[in-house]
Amino acid sequence: MARLTRTSVLVCTAALAVGLTACGGGTGASSNDADGKSGDAKTIKLVAAEYSSGTKAFWDKFATAYKAKTGNTLDVQVVSWTDIDQQSSTMIQNGNPPDILNLNAYASYAKDDLLYSADDVLSPAVKDDLIPAFVKSGTYNGKLYGMPDLSSARALFYNKKLFQQAGISAPPTTWADFEADAKKVSALGGGNVGYAMPLGPEESQAEFSIWLVNNGGDWKTDGKWSINSAKNVETLNFLKKLAVTDKVTQNNPGKTNRTDGAFALFGSGKAGMVVGFSPLSAELDKSKAVDYAVAPMPSADGSAPQTYGVTDYLMAFKKKGNQDAVKAFYDLYYQPDQVNTFIKAEGFLPVTKTGLTTFQSEKALAVYLQTLPNVHLTPTDDPGWDKVKLAVQQNLGSAVAPDGNPQKVLDALQQQAESGS
Amino acid sequence: MSQSTLRQAGPATSRPRRRGTRDATSGWVALLWLGPALLLIGGVVVFPAVALVKASLSEYSITGLRKGPAGLDNYRHVIEHPALGTVLRTTAIWVVAVVILTMLISLALAQFLSKQFVGRRFVRWAIIVPWAASLIITARLFTLLLDYYHGIANTLLVALPFVDQPVDFLGDDRFTLASIVAVGVFVSVPFVTYVLLAGLNAIPDDVYEAARIDGAGPWQVYRRITLPLLAPALSVSTVLSIIYVFNSFPVVYTLNDRNPGFSHDTTITWMYKLAFKSAEKDVGMSAAAGVFNVLLILAAVAVYLRVTRGATQENQA
Repeated sequence: MARLTRTSVLVCTAALAVGLTACGGGTGASSNDADGKSGDAKTIKLVAAEYSSGTKAFWDKFATAYKAKTGNTLDVQVVSWTDIDQQSSTMIQNGNPPDILNLNAYASYAKDDLLYSADDVLSPAVKDDLIPAFVKSGTYNGKLYGMPDLSSARALFYNKKLFQQAGISAPPTTWADFEADAKKVSALGGGNVGYAMPLGPEESQAEFSIWLVNNGGDWKTDGKWSINSAKNVETLNFLKKLAVTDKVTQNNPGKTNRTDGAFALFGSGKAGMVVGFSPLSAELDKSKAVDYAVAPMPSADGSAPQTYGVTDYLMAFKKKGNQDAVKAFYDLYYQPDQVNTFIKAEGFLPVTKTGLTTFQSEKALAVYLQTLPNVHLTPTDDPGWDKVKLAVQQNLGSAVAPDGNPQKVLDALQQQAESGS
Repeated sequence: MSQSTLRQAGPATSRPRRRGTRDATSGWVALLWLGPALLLIGGVVVFPAVALVKASLSEYSITGLRKGPAGLDNYRHVIEHPALGTVLRTTAIWVVAVVILTMLISLALAQFLSKQFVGRRFVRWAIIVPWAASLIITARLFTLLLDYYHGIANTLLVALPFVDQPVDFLGDDRFTLASIVAVGVFVSVPFVTYVLLAGLNAIPDDVYEAARIDGAGPWQVYRRITLPLLAPALSVSTVLSIIYVFNSFPVVYTLNDRNPGFSHDTTITWMYKLAFKSAEKDVGMSAAAGVFNVLLILAAVAVYLRVTRGATQENQA
């Protein structure tokens, strides 16, 4: 026993020493810009969100290209989606923001006057190439601050095998059809559920968004919050009906997250339908476990289907002497062979008009691409949304519980939105 | 045998040396020796504490940008927060349940492991493994084990003749906190067991022998000899457990990440959500909650020490 302890102490000390040297060797290579002319930044830092395991590889390659083209160094830090809010907040709190930050929100940063606008750092040709819907969502107070890096649009995924077993010949186009089809799949038994509905805190605002735009609702109408509009209450009541009255969803939809909940269930072949996007296709194609197809989202009354989309942003922080390097970054990123390569590798959708043409040949993406120019986005151009989104994530799920009250939940969110903006 | 001689040798040799150096040292030399420790304390304890208090008195934008002094607003917002009562109740249940269950289970396990039996070493290793694994990985593993659709726990349960529905361990409000507590106990037991095992091994055999000669039964021996002599180890491990469980973030956060709102948050996870996940997204308010949290732990430990000191004095009287 005594010898054992001594060895373990030795091992620990050795591990500690190794750890310390490893830590000591990690830093120190950040500021070797001795030959900088007139104080121009020679090294700029990018903090990027990790979309997949390939994200780091793309940015590293991009940094090499950036170095070759401009002579500047791009310091790349890739952060997981769960940590990026915390990391970016800490950096800004310490007065040390990155030069470029990749995030799903930008308006609060623009409001705090931390960002360059497109007038400062984007070439006119690049700006003209961006799809207008994304320019609109990236514009705060009349100026473009949120440069879109990629986009996604949602659509209805359905399990062809379950549909066949339930005797359904075509995907639903109205909510009534949807409800009937979900009931038929649930009736198959064996643990099958009609619809996997993720209204847990991970991304409930996205799940609700695609439903509400297909009922003619929206988060904001004519510049004013319309979270508790009659249309939206009707939509949430319908979702609650699916969960509580019809019981055609998975257990506890208000406490199910998207990635490890709804997608996992659909991926295991137990869910008839789920709202997905192109990265889910990529995942399902790889595992080949489910025979699925993608269809436009059904609308409430059978009118033209609407798509809800998401875009993320690359924003640039105003720092002394970094303007030219940042501009060069954007010039290079929006080169078709950079931005489209990235988007294609990650399985997302383009943000530029040239990208739309390039991706036109991808058959699997056709269902999204047609709707992309008219996509509905969440009001990311309003700094108030950054808080409303979090409030929605923490509260919406309770509305679809057996004792949930959609009207009350949406009223509370509306009140919070109005008091915050 | 060899262990006890070693233990006696330590103080015996060091005492004269200490007496000798005291004459020769000036305050500066002492400071030189204490320097590294003081620097460490300054950097790891004092600096973050000052930064925390400073942050709690500042107003922050949602982006993390400091906007200016906030006075005591952040503290007021924490006290007035509608979820505070729920969070405090959850924290109290979490800490008390995990610490008590851990203590009881560890006491039994330590007793068992102090006996000689074949394969004891393997059992001891098996028990330390949960402690060696990363808490996040353990917690994540349990979310998979307890999953409603794919979890092994439910597959086994449903196979039982009298269970026809899976149990939503992490989503059903009746089971959520209990499930989190169970995992909390699972990860706390190894450390406490080993502290108590060390305490048991330190009780000399002749005390037991004397008791047996005087005709004491096993239960009597346990209550009158083992428990009193184990008291120091018990109280140290309880205090450490209280602090450790109070501050435990990964288990509660990971097992609760699917649940919206704050109904199963402890003060620590609530603090994190206030800073980064909830609609408040306010670093200042989170820092204020952090200050409250430190005070809360100090109060809990003080109460525990006061109560146990009272109890041991009564015992001795």
